[in-house]
Parts: sequence; structure tokens; C-alpha cells
Amino acid sequence: MVQLTATPLSALVDEPVHIRATGLTPLQLVVFHASLEDEVGNLFYSLAFYRANEVGEIDLDHAAALGGDYKGVHPMGLFWSLKPEKPVTRLLKRDVMNSPFRVQIKLYDRHLPIEAKTSEAPKASVTLERWYVAPGVTRIPVREGRLRGTLFVPSGEGRFPGVIDMFGASGGLLEFRASLLASRGFASLALAHCGFEDLPPQPEKVDLEYFEEAANFLLKHPKVLGPGIGVVSVCRGAEIGLSMAIHLKQVTATVLINGPNFIFSIPHVYRGQIFKPRPHSIQSISINALGFVEFYHIFDEGGPENSQFCLPIEKAQGPFLFIVGEDDRNVNGKVFAKQATEQLKRHGKNNWTLLSYPGAGHMIEPPYSPLCCVSGIASVCSAIHWGGEVVPHAAAQEHSWKEIQKFLRKHLMPVVASQI
Amino acid sequence: MLQLTANPAKALADEPVHIRVTGLPSSQVVTIKASLKDEKGNLFQSKAFYRANEAGEVDLEEAPAFGGDYVGVHPMGLFWSLKPERALRRLLKQDVMNSPFWVTLELYDSVCFQDSTTVLPRASQMVQRWFSGPGVQWQQIQEGRVRGTFFLPSGEGPFPGVVDLFGGIGGLVEFRASLLAAHGFAVLALAYFAYEDLPDKLLEVDLEYFEEAANFLLAHPKVQRPGIGVLSVCKGAEIGLAMACYLKQVVATVCINGPNAITEVPLRYKDLVVAPTGLFPERIQLHISGALRLRHCRGDPRELNRQSVLPVEKARGWILFIVGEKDEFLDGRARAEQALAQLASHGRINGRMLAYPGAGHLIEPPYAPLCYMSWNPGVSLPLLWGGDRVAHAAAQEHAWGEIQKFFRQHLTPAGSKL
Repeated sequence: MVQLTATPLSALVDEPVHIRATGLTPLQLVVFHASLEDEVGNLFYSLAFYRANEVGEIDLDHAAALGGDYKGVHPMGLFWSLKPEKPVTRLLKRDVMNSPFRVQIKLYDRHLPIEAKTSEAPKASVTLERWYVAPGVTRIPVREGRLRGTLFVPSGEGRFPGVIDMFGASGGLLEFRASLLASRGFASLALAHCGFEDLPPQPEKVDLEYFEEAANFLLKHPKVLGPGIGVVSVCRGAEIGLSMAIHLKQVTATVLINGPNFIFSIPHVYRGQIFKPRPHSIQSISINALGFVEFYHIFDEGGPENSQFCLPIEKAQGPFLFIVGEDDRNVNGKVFAKQATEQLKRHGKNNWTLLSYPGAGHMIEPPYSPLCCVSGIASVCSAIHWGGEVVPHAAAQEHSWKEIQKFLRKHLMPVVASQI
Repeated sequence: MLQLTANPAKALADEPVHIRVTGLPSSQVVTIKASLKDEKGNLFQSKAFYRANEAGEVDLEEAPAFGGDYVGVHPMGLFWSLKPERALRRLLKQDVMNSPFWVTLELYDSVCFQDSTTVLPRASQMVQRWFSGPGVQWQQIQEGRVRGTFFLPSGEGPFPGVVDLFGGIGGLVEFRASLLAAHGFAVLALAYFAYEDLPDKLLEVDLEYFEEAANFLLAHPKVQRPGIGVLSVCKGAEIGLAMACYLKQVVATVCINGPNAITEVPLRYKDLVVAPTGLFPERIQLHISGALRLRHCRGDPRELNRQSVLPVEKARGWILFIVGEKDEFLDGRARAEQALAQLASHGRINGRMLAYPGAGHLIEPPYAPLCYMSWNPGVSLPLLWGGDRVAHAAAQEHAWGEIQKFFRQHLTPAGSKL
């Protein structure tokens, strides 16, 4: 009898799953088909062809896929190769507390199916729950003073290292990474900075005092360990994260994912000082063969005169973790991280690590997230190419997530406690 | 005064156009956009951003584009980077005799990377791109079993005769045959399935049908004797290679991105039946867009069933393999190399390969837009063809010249007089 097992059936989204099929005919060819419906009804699907071994079993931890969305041994391949049925759709969990993503894995004879949906009955199927929050994590909406965000506090006694989590120019409030960080033991504040409630979609300036308020709010919280906090930030969020690290002594560990070492477009202000954006050349926008827009060349032009716009990273005290996707088509993160680290080196500072991932794109997210290589941002462009190749991007997400947690624990927890 | 000129305004689709802008403020950044509507109303568009020089001019033969669909100096970039507004549509001219493609060129101030219905162009110009030349006659063919159209250049002749074969798209595709005829060849665009009274699906390749087509050409008073050429792509190239192997009438064969073995359906020629080599459907790959990447599901050349491999050493004529190394549908290079090795092992030197790094599967006449993936009849998912735009465009330009040289060299009595 054909059986399909997946362990664990219910887990955090960043945990691997062990999938096995048994009871097949020896050397039989089959298709594993995964599907997921997001909260607004978009269907995502993936599939891979495998051959059963001599005893009619397929263990995805060891078996090599012959084709489909990936080839070779990739135990979590069905998850990170999920593709939208409707093109240019990003997989995003909105409600992180009350429901998981449900992933259906179905096993079919080799001839079926290649498509997103089929009415054929599978030989076996199993449904998994993928949660963005661990049991016991508390979600606290934050509307203190100007602050707009959501705080996630791990379960348990005592205090936890505090982290501010920020996304990019698409705005709004994305909670999924903060909720996962809280599930891994960090008191995480998902902080909105534009396009959310009374925060304008395109603010005129980035007021660093807002972010200082957020840092102080965290540090005052009874469940947050001090004396410093961390920042996890991507793209425009990382532009802000860098400024925070430079000006705010409360920030003692900064993770910058695919961000600039200068200001993209909106000036930063802090206590009367204004920091100007670097000029860009909009004519360097590229359009790829499928009509998707690539912005990563718009800061290529210019030479030494651009150094006046480089943020004074050497003024920051805390350590940095730079994470770069080398196939990023939105931000030329590899070049900017190199410039930032060279500036640190010139000032005799070596408290930084640069993780540069060939084949990874802009949207480096927690492990097993499908690669989103194109999506739209309402005010900017309907089809932005983020870049990345599916397999190396997946590997980059797995590796960087562990490194982010190691980095945060190392620098935010007293030495005695960090034995992880 | 601001002017956008494009010369010639009326030309063959494989001829270049010189685009210039004059009368701009010095160093101004502009967007030049091209658009075309095909015969089904599908819109194709492209754009590039240029900077005027001190004299306020942009000459696409000299000025580099800074961004948009291409970067650098590409005088015909706006043509070969045309992309469908509705994804996955392929640009294909249906009526090759009576109408051109109309391409609208428009000039906009500054950088316009998003389309707008409210911003008007500062200048615009239309150019006609024709798929047939003056004086070429078009004749529908229904002789015996043969179905297709015959393009005959004007003049006394005789003209080198060529059979033009497309692939799995089926039906009758004429645009390449008509363009080749504009360059002095007598070309039969030959259908073999999904057309008129031909079978709806290709269930076998009956080589005698193709021999009838070759004989039809050779019987024509204005077609050069004693042998004809074949220009073929994909499944058509598999048939073309079979024609080269078995038909003495065929003396020059161009195979573009095709297999070197009989695939999917058997080949039959008189008493001979050649079984097809199997496919490996479990090696089908899915692109992140959901399109099918079939490059690996034919197996690599060593996995071919020996009986299915075409006996190229029997070919009496000349064979030119043209392959795109970024072909995502088929590994044409490996197949061509295997065929050439087979020739060499029999002491034959009548085969040659042109391999283009960066070119994809659909290598077409010059300036045809790269079709990276598209819907295909009979397949429920889009197919990935592959190719890098700039390299693919360069390959198309180079290959077209080589194809004509090859046919003139081997089909005309003057031999290598080109």
C-alpha cells in the first residue's frame, strides 16, 4: 500500500520536513506535487519526478529528483520551488498568529500532472502546517507615540535580546520575519516606516528620531534584555538600519541584507543634521527579455564624487553582518557591501562579516520561502525583477538565517548565556 | 526643429534601418520606443534611453543606449527587443505577400520606463517591414500530396531551389521562405501536418512525402538542377537531416537546432522504418514561470537508441548545423557534434557547425525579436526556448548571411562564387 509520510506535520516554516514514500513498485517513476493556497486565494505549486528504489521507497532526504522544479537531492525542494499559478505574485503570510500555510503534498504516477491543478486522484497525499509563530509567542500591536509596529515576545521567563525588524520601500508592515525571530528567542519589533496607517507611502524624510524612539521602546520593555538591541533589515530597511547603527548607540548588532552604503532617495535627518541621497541615473534602468524592470544599475554612474554620499559607517560602534545576493537585479548589494567593508577596513575596524551568495537574488528570506524573482510595488512599477536562481537562492536563505541568529545571539546576549 | 527619421521607411524585414533624432537640446535624455501590432492585434513593444550629443542628435548607429531593453550601440535593438504586452505570444507574420508589419517609432522626453496613456511623444515615425520582395511570385501548391506555398523570384532563373521546414508548430509558416526568395532563391514553404488535408497530428514522418516535394521543386523549369537545398528548424531539422541522408535530390541541408536521431514518431521511407528514440519525461524541468524546459528530456546523445540515430554518413550533399548554445528546448550542439563525429568516423568531411553562444532555440532571420518562451499548439504549458537577447540577435544576423552563402555555394553551378 502506497504511503506518504511527512515529519513533522506541523512545524515552524523555517524547519525542515522529512518526506518519504513507501509501498511503491520498485524503480517506479512518480511525481511529488506540492500546492498551497495563500490567504487571498492565490495558488502556488511545485513538482518533482523521482524514481523509487529497489524496495519501492523514496526518501527525499536521500533520493535525487530527476526533473520537475529541481534536480538532485533537495529534501525541501518542493517548498522553495513553489511557483504562483498567476505570474508576478509574491507569497506572503499576512496573519502570522492565527493560521499556518497549509501545504498539500500529493503523489502521482509519473505521467501526471505538470500543471498547477489536476482532478486526478493521487496515490497518496499528506497536508502539512507551516507556522510563522511558535506556540507561546505573544503578539503585541505597538502604537506608542509615533511608533507603528508589532512586537513579538518569545514565551518563557526572563528577558530576551531585542531586535528591530524592517523591510523595504514596498512599505506596510510585514510581520513574518519578526514572528519567526521571536519563535527563535528574540523579542522582535516589526517596525513600519512608510505606507502604513498614518505613515505616508513616500515620506519626505527619514527621521532617525522615530527609529530611536523604537529602540528606546524596546529597551524599556520588561521582557527585553539590554543594554543594546539588534537590527535586521533589508533593502531600504537596511539603508535605515545602517543610519541607525551609525547614530544610535542603542544599536549594538546590525544585519544589512542587500542594502546600500548611502541613501537611495529620501534624506535622513537626525537632531538637525541632514544626510542627502546619492544621485541616480534613471536612464540606467534595464528591462529584461520578459519585460521585467531591473534597477540595479541606476547607481553605477559616477566616480570619486560619490564618496561624499557614502554613509560614515566607521562611526558605528556595533558589529555588522552584511548579506548579499550576487544575482540581485534591484540593488547592486555586492558592490555597496564591498564599499562599506572597505571603508570600515580603512578606519581599522574589523567587526563585520560579509556573506555573499552567488545565485541569490534580492529577496533573501527565511529558509524554504519560495524565490520571488518578480513582483510589483504599487507606486513604483508593476513588474520589478528581484533576481535570483531558484536553487542557490534556497541555499542562501538556509545558510543566512542560521548566520543571522548566531550573529544576533553572539552580540546581544552575555557570553555566559549564548551556548547555542 | 525636432526630427525623428528612419531610413529606409519601407524595407525587407531582414534589412537594417537607420534611426536618427535631430533638433534636441544638447545632452538631453530621451526615450525611443518601438511598437507593433501583429495580425491578431497583439501589441509588441520595446524602448531604450539615449542621451543626445552636444549637437542635439541621437544617431542609433553611433549612440549607446544607457538603459531600457538594451545597453550599448545597437542600431536595430528596438526591433529585436520587441516584447509582447500579453506574455508568451510569439511574433509571426501570417500574410507575407500583401502587408508588412508596421512598426511605430516614438520619441519621448526623458526616461519613460512605465507606459503612460497621457504622455504624448515628441515625434513619431512609422516604418514598414516586408516579408516579401518586389517581383516575387506566390503560388499555392496542391500537387499530388504536396501542400505548401512556392515563392519564385522574378527573372529568367534558374534559381537555387530550397524546401523550407518548420517544426512542431505545424501548419504552414511562410515568412522565412518568402524572405529567402527575396534574395534570389526559389523556395517551397512545405507543410507536413495540421494543414489542409494533411494529418492533424504528426504520427509518422513519411519521407516519400518530402521526396515528392523535392521532386516538385526540381521539376520546375526555373529551379536549378540537379539538386535542391533544405532549410529546416527543430523537428523540421530532424526531417531535413533525414532528407539529406536518404534523398539524393538533396545536396545542401541547413539544420537549425535539431536532433540527429528520429524522435517521438517513426520515420518511414519505402521499406525502411526507423523507430524513434525514447523521451525521458521525468527529466522535464519547470522554469520558475511554469514554462517547460525540455532540453534534458531527450537524454544526452549517448543515451540515444542506436537504431534511431540518422545515418549521416550516407548523405551525399553538404550539411550545415546551426546551433544556439542557450537553447532550452534542445541541446542542439551536442547533437550536431555527435553527427559530425559520425561523419568523421566514416572519413566524410561534408558537415560543418556554426555554434552561437547566447543564442536560443528560435534562431530566425535578422531583427526578429527573441521569443524566450511562448505558448505552442498542442502543449498546455508554455515552452522555454531560451537565448540571451543581444547574443541571439547577433547570431540571427550572422547565421542568415551564412545560410545564403551556403546555399549559393552548393546549389549554383558557379560553386563558390558568392
